[in-house]
Amino acid sequence: MQGSSFRRSSVAGLPAGSGSALPALLLVGLFFIVPVVALLLRSVTDPEPGLQNYAALFGSGTYVRVFLNTFLVASVVTAVTILVAFPVAWMLAIMPPALGSIVFGIIILSMWTNLLTRTYAWMVLLQRTGVINRALMGLGIIHEPLPLINNLAGVTIGMVYIMLPFMILPLVGTLRAIDPMTLRAAALCGASPFEAFRRILLPLSLPGIAAGGLMVFVMSLGYFVTPALLGGTSNMMLAEMIAQTVQSLLNWGLGSAAAFVLLVVTMALYAIQLRLVGAKRAGGGI
Amino acid sequence: MKLILTGLLAGLLAATAAKADEMAFTSWGGTTQEAQTKSWAAPFEASSGIKVLQDGPTDYGKLKAMVDAGNVTWDVVDVEMDFAIKAAKDGLLEPIDYAVVPKADLDPRFSNEHSVGSFYYSFVLAWNKGTVTGEPTGWADMFDTKKFPGKRTFYKWSAPGVIEIALLADGVPADKLYPLDLDRAFKKLDTIKSDIVWWGGGAESQQLIASGEAAFGQLWNGRVFALQQDGTDVGVAWNQNLTAADVLVVPKGAKNKDSAMKFLAAATSPTGQAKFAEASGYAPINTKAKAEMPADAVKALPDAHVDGQINLDMNYWAEHRGEIATRWYAWQTK
Repeated sequence: MQGSSFRRSSVAGLPAGSGSALPALLLVGLFFIVPVVALLLRSVTDPEPGLQNYAALFGSGTYVRVFLNTFLVASVVTAVTILVAFPVAWMLAIMPPALGSIVFGIIILSMWTNLLTRTYAWMVLLQRTGVINRALMGLGIIHEPLPLINNLAGVTIGMVYIMLPFMILPLVGTLRAIDPMTLRAAALCGASPFEAFRRILLPLSLPGIAAGGLMVFVMSLGYFVTPALLGGTSNMMLAEMIAQTVQSLLNWGLGSAAAFVLLVVTMALYAIQLRLVGAKRAGGGI
Repeated sequence: MKLILTGLLAGLLAATAAKADEMAFTSWGGTTQEAQTKSWAAPFEASSGIKVLQDGPTDYGKLKAMVDAGNVTWDVVDVEMDFAIKAAKDGLLEPIDYAVVPKADLDPRFSNEHSVGSFYYSFVLAWNKGTVTGEPTGWADMFDTKKFPGKRTFYKWSAPGVIEIALLADGVPADKLYPLDLDRAFKKLDTIKSDIVWWGGGAESQQLIASGEAAFGQLWNGRVFALQQDGTDVGVAWNQNLTAADVLVVPKGAKNKDSAMKFLAAATSPTGQAKFAEASGYAPINTKAKAEMPADAVKALPDAHVDGQINLDMNYWAEHRGEIATRWYAWQTK
């Protein structure tokens, strides 16, 4: 988006071309704004008007714990995703285009497979009697099965795998835009490969890392299936807790309050990132 | 505004507006709903000409949203009995028309003004014979990690069962279970917390036991029955089996109420109940059903194990659902 190049229309003071954006705006309004407002209203009206749902939410050790845990899991997943995605994105950026598009295709393809199927596949791989533990025990590397599932490790592995494409795609865009000559220049000036990475590549790729990282973090905050199947109850995430509150306990007010708090926190994080890297760079590379 | 929200929600949920010769039946999916389709819906369609659309899984939040919005697309829903008692109190259910549904032979434990029995089942102690040496005989063995090492699997959600199991294992006599001593139950559960793997649905419980991922578990007897039918080497202890029931309900404002009542009559008939019990291993709620079943199928039912059988108190749970759930999730997420 080139926000600065929009011309002002003289009539209504709206950006030129906003007429053609009307259907899209209506769509966003109908399917995003209205439900969010309804959610907020429900959280302060159900079962009766007042802030009792928010009081219950922050007064409940359970919800506070689940909140903190949700942010912990999302942070770990984001950090690991960045570490795994960076080398892949770099490889994609410097590969010959023909080969690159094949590898790209493979990465995209994984996104087309049903999420539940992929999560079940991880269950089969990670459990105590699963493929990984059996192989390691068969090779004599371990004697007791590693606890890879029903804990933070299981959630992290499963979610990083699902989040990788969302990190790789913006990163590749950013990395491709970096002039390779800058790295060559660094080498000519005597920089070691690590030094070139630390002082040239990393700073230049920060916008891509920030954009992908934010997307992964925000998506992770609301994740449901993977934590429910690969995590234990002590890693329960907010989405699962809300589902229980609404579906089983029929407490829509409390569920709405929890969902709204999560939304506000997420928006706040986005705002902070906009401040830190600037609107253009935060969206850059996607 | 609340109306707009619920209207929107229900609008999204309403997949198709049902026609006069159609009705929607919702249950829990998996082997249970397959058996219900085969034993109840198929013969009912043939005899009445009313098409039964299958939907699922049962979702209490959805049910409430439909009723609140006045746009009910489910006509008959299979729910847990403690939920049905609570939902009837909250005005979410139609009364059962016992002029259409014959009541005389129904087990009075599982039918009341707003719900009619679907089937009843027992939580039993099941184990994978390949990973367990020895034979557990009661819930206390699930808490004895020295004698019986390995992971144990329990039902994940706040529902009748696990609390009672912990209390029984701690030595509370069966007739002194209620009112539930939650402090004592959680203290007992703390002793094996790190050895527990939770299951959230029937298929998951089967997978955990069949793979040996969990050595023991608290399972629905029908799921153990299905494992044994598949030839999996699973042991089962019926001592202290805990009964609970599913019931069939008609949500308030269901569009095809008349068809729904006729369906309930067919589902709770001796033949419908006998066929379902034979296919699922769950017990019939019609007292005449067993006469129509083969003798070996009767032997697999919870009815054959009334010695040491304990009835979970659905009324107690309906009364205390909220407060127990608050304690449950607080303990579980710790």
